[in-house]
Amino acid sequence: MKRWTPCPDWMTLLPNLPLLLRALRAPEQLTTLPPAGWDLLLRQAESANLLATLHALLAERGLLDAILPAARAPLAWADVMAQRHRQATYWEIRLIGQVLEGLGLPLLLLKGAAYAAAGLPPAAGRLFSDIDVLVPEQQLPQVEAALMMAGWAGQQHDAYDQRYYREWMHELPPMQHVQRQTLIDVHHTILPRTAAQRPDPRLLRAAARPLAEPAGAAVLAPLDMVLHSATHLFADGEFDKGLRDLWDLHCLLGHFGATEAGFWDELPARARALQLQRFMYYGLRYSVALLGTPVPPATLAALAPDGPALPLRVLMDALFLRALLPHHASCRGRLAPLADFLLYVRGNWLRMPPWRLARHLFHKAFISPKKPRQAVA
Amino acid sequence: MLTVGTLSPAALRARLAGPGLRLRTGRFTTCLRGDIPSLAAGIAQLYPDYPLLGEQDFADFHLQLQRPCNGRRWLRPQVDLLYDGRRVFRPLPLAQALPMFEWGLNWCVSSRAHRYLIVHAAVLERGGRALVMPAPPGSGKSTLTAALAGRGGWRLLSDELTLIDLDSGLVVPNPRPVSLKNQSIDVIRAYLPQAVLSPAVQDTQKGTVAHMRAPADSVARADECALPGWIVFPQYVAGAATSIEALPRATTFMELAGNSFNYSILGANGFHAMARLIEQVRGFRFRYSALDEALDALPRLDDFAA
Amino acid sequence: MTLAWRITPGQSLLHRCWDGQVVLYNDASGATHLLDQATLDFLHALRDGSVEPAELADPALQDLLRRLQFLYLVQPC
Repeated sequence: MKRWTPCPDWMTLLPNLPLLLRALRAPEQLTTLPPAGWDLLLRQAESANLLATLHALLAERGLLDAILPAARAPLAWADVMAQRHRQATYWEIRLIGQVLEGLGLPLLLLKGAAYAAAGLPPAAGRLFSDIDVLVPEQQLPQVEAALMMAGWAGQQHDAYDQRYYREWMHELPPMQHVQRQTLIDVHHTILPRTAAQRPDPRLLRAAARPLAEPAGAAVLAPLDMVLHSATHLFADGEFDKGLRDLWDLHCLLGHFGATEAGFWDELPARARALQLQRFMYYGLRYSVALLGTPVPPATLAALAPDGPALPLRVLMDALFLRALLPHHASCRGRLAPLADFLLYVRGNWLRMPPWRLARHLFHKAFISPKKPRQAVA
Repeated sequence: MLTVGTLSPAALRARLAGPGLRLRTGRFTTCLRGDIPSLAAGIAQLYPDYPLLGEQDFADFHLQLQRPCNGRRWLRPQVDLLYDGRRVFRPLPLAQALPMFEWGLNWCVSSRAHRYLIVHAAVLERGGRALVMPAPPGSGKSTLTAALAGRGGWRLLSDELTLIDLDSGLVVPNPRPVSLKNQSIDVIRAYLPQAVLSPAVQDTQKGTVAHMRAPADSVARADECALPGWIVFPQYVAGAATSIEALPRATTFMELAGNSFNYSILGANGFHAMARLIEQVRGFRFRYSALDEALDALPRLDDFAA
Repeated sequence: MTLAWRITPGQSLLHRCWDGQVVLYNDASGATHLLDQATLDFLHALRDGSVEPAELADPALQDLLRRLQFLYLVQPC
């Protein structure tokens, strides 16, 4: 019977952690940070998309008046931007809701949009990009058509990309509104069709919780929201925004752990019911190691059997504990690019079987021209 | 107080090539790195009066100009602008390093400093009141600004970015070199023989570009804010008589919002700041062709405010 | 035809009025609209409950209501 073994101390000992992580774990220590320290901290935070979050954290703890005055200004600027993002997200959610209402579908929001609509802790200081929604698979064509009628358009993708999304992935190709330039991702489940794990979206939809405002909107149940957050992070291949996603998970765990009766007890079973236990294992492991999330030992012990065998676990520690650090020059050791590469391969491996993976990587490398996605302001 | 000008050319180059040159421009501090001779020469020429900071001081912005390492280095040398190590714009020809720094620093302020309502406008002060001049490229705004600052008795607050403090409603100085384009370079050389101009750089996306050093007084008094006084939309029309037309307040509001970098980001606070400004200040359309006449007419705007 | 309308919850109708022209801030979308005095007066009347349902049947008002609804300033109730 596998026992929970925490990450090796030498990798996570506090003085070795980058300044940004020490700041997130213990913001009260920032009152004595010298100017050069603030200079570095704000740069790390911005590169990790956590600048406004840092402002929110300091504001929440009543520390803004006690920090270096020169640092307050850029933090406040970032907060203004985050407020605007939040307003724009609410607006976008309303407009999307109107489209789906016409089809008799609930507006089931995922990720950032869900945090914003439900007023959850990860929404504080967040810069939002796409809106993610979950709809039943059999209604994808109607949803796509209704969005196009309302002004969203598929971005130019070649036939291969179209097939990639529609046949293999868990979402329609991203759509962009022609006037507002905002992006929507329409998912029918939370992992690609081609992945080994098959979390049943009907279970997710059945447990979804309606919101009071906006009317018709809903979000995943707390356990499922946490599982989706861990899955979204640890099933991916790119981690340049990994710390931001890990922070979201950390906030959700802390919030639901304190407010939802039975949350910690039920988490392992729900993880297994949705076949997401391995991702949840990683989620808890690295959230505890890097951000000090207060997870009860009983929950860690209950998920320990779902972790990888020792040799693989050692490798994953080495990879994730590098890739989840801020992708800022000051935090990147020599082995970071190698860790990125190995995790990129792993990410694609998880999404599709080997023969298809080889074909996919060949196509991306030699045939598809790169089309950068634009994030909404 | 230490200024950039107290550094020897060798020391200036060493800072730029190494840990970075940290300097203050108005309310903002920048750490600039770049081992490029034309950049060092341009900084020495245009920024001697600006406060110099130490290596351990906090900087709001972090810019690097560097030459990309590729085959083009020898045949068609280029320069990249990076913000804290991340590329933000396409590379430009190496000869445009100094203008690229100017545009880059403008971008830093206008895309981040959301404590201010930031209008794409020149702004000058006289008698404690600020003249705000929004204008699209090609309207003659920069020529007029340089003339007003150099000979008209106005203090330059900014040639590109008018900053209005959201709390106080005051105009906050952001003195920087005045950007001149194409014909206005020769016009200003003739009109202000004492002005210090950087070497003209050709074939930029804005045409031929040169920068005029901000008057020392502007830089020295960067802490002195001004009450908004007038909003003037200048329009250079060759051969035209000088004319002033007062604008309805709502029109001025919408035009100024349209000329603002961050009005739409500031939300309700932006609305309040713009409304307070429009309540205090009238807007005018100002047509002119002769600089002398323009300099003569602008101090008498209050006569038209009735 | 809908004859019961209200100001959309959350809209404060933040505005300024100069010489018959109105600039109005839209709390939901963050946009700023340029309106005329008559439209502002109508919005205030709707907010204060002093518009008779029968008056709303006027085709011109119905048209205005639809345009204001598109801007999320008013909604049927």
